[in-house]
Amino acid sequence: MSEPKALPEPSATQPTSTRTGPGRLLVAIYGLFALAASSRAGVQIATKFHHAPVAYVLSAFAGVVYIIATVTLTAGSPTARRIAVVSCSVELVGVLAVGTWSVLDPASFPDATVWSDYGIGYGFVPLVLPVFGLLWLRYWAKRDKTGASAA
Amino acid sequence: MNGALPTTIIVAGLALAGYALLLTALNRRMGAILLGALGVLEILLLVLVGMIVARLIGGGHPADLAVLIGYLIGIPLIPVAAAFWGALERSRWGPAVAAVAGLVAAVLMVRLHQIWPVIHV
Repeated sequence: MSEPKALPEPSATQPTSTRTGPGRLLVAIYGLFALAASSRAGVQIATKFHHAPVAYVLSAFAGVVYIIATVTLTAGSPTARRIAVVSCSVELVGVLAVGTWSVLDPASFPDATVWSDYGIGYGFVPLVLPVFGLLWLRYWAKRDKTGASAA
Repeated sequence: MNGALPTTIIVAGLALAGYALLLTALNRRMGAILLGALGVLEILLLVLVGMIVARLIGGGHPADLAVLIGYLIGIPLIPVAAAFWGALERSRWGPAVAAVAGLVAAVLMVRLHQIWPVIHV
């Protein structure tokens, strides 16, 4: 009796670090947002800070959070992943808090931030990005655990 | 400045993104056709940047020059960065990176028009 061919070892197709596989896409999008948010905030703070100080400071903060996520997801060491969990969590809380704040008190935001209205100006990518980031980090945390128990 | 080039870039970017997402769905990695398409997108973007710079030198005045210059520097980096980052990937996620570049190129044409309305779409 012949059995169907065995599937290749999962390890052969599994991503080898947080920056490969789905992480490749995640790092690309985080890098894009790091560049977009921080350069936008830089120009705004340098040229017209008093127009919308709250929005610009929050944009700058978002830019820093995106830079940290990009760097830590690229590095992928256990320490980097712990930092990434914190920065993705801050990012999720940030987009929810700033989103809600901008809906309730639009007067504080004469100019938009990346996180205004839950990231509507960026196709809601800022809202889903931290969720995928945290899922990706959880996948790695689980892999660590099973790897450690097998060893 | 007529809208032919930005419109071409939008169509090219969306077509590239569609093809790249198809490759992702079919579990293919980045190949010569996709890299070539990113190269074509890069050339189109560089021509557009050149046209906008010519318009600025010719005495155009966008409301927010600093932002426009930021875009002019950033835009040509997108296909190049996607090509390198995506080609390093040996899985279906390489084309997914290229898809992002195509979509971003299309969206940026609309943003350019918002920053400086003489850039028609």
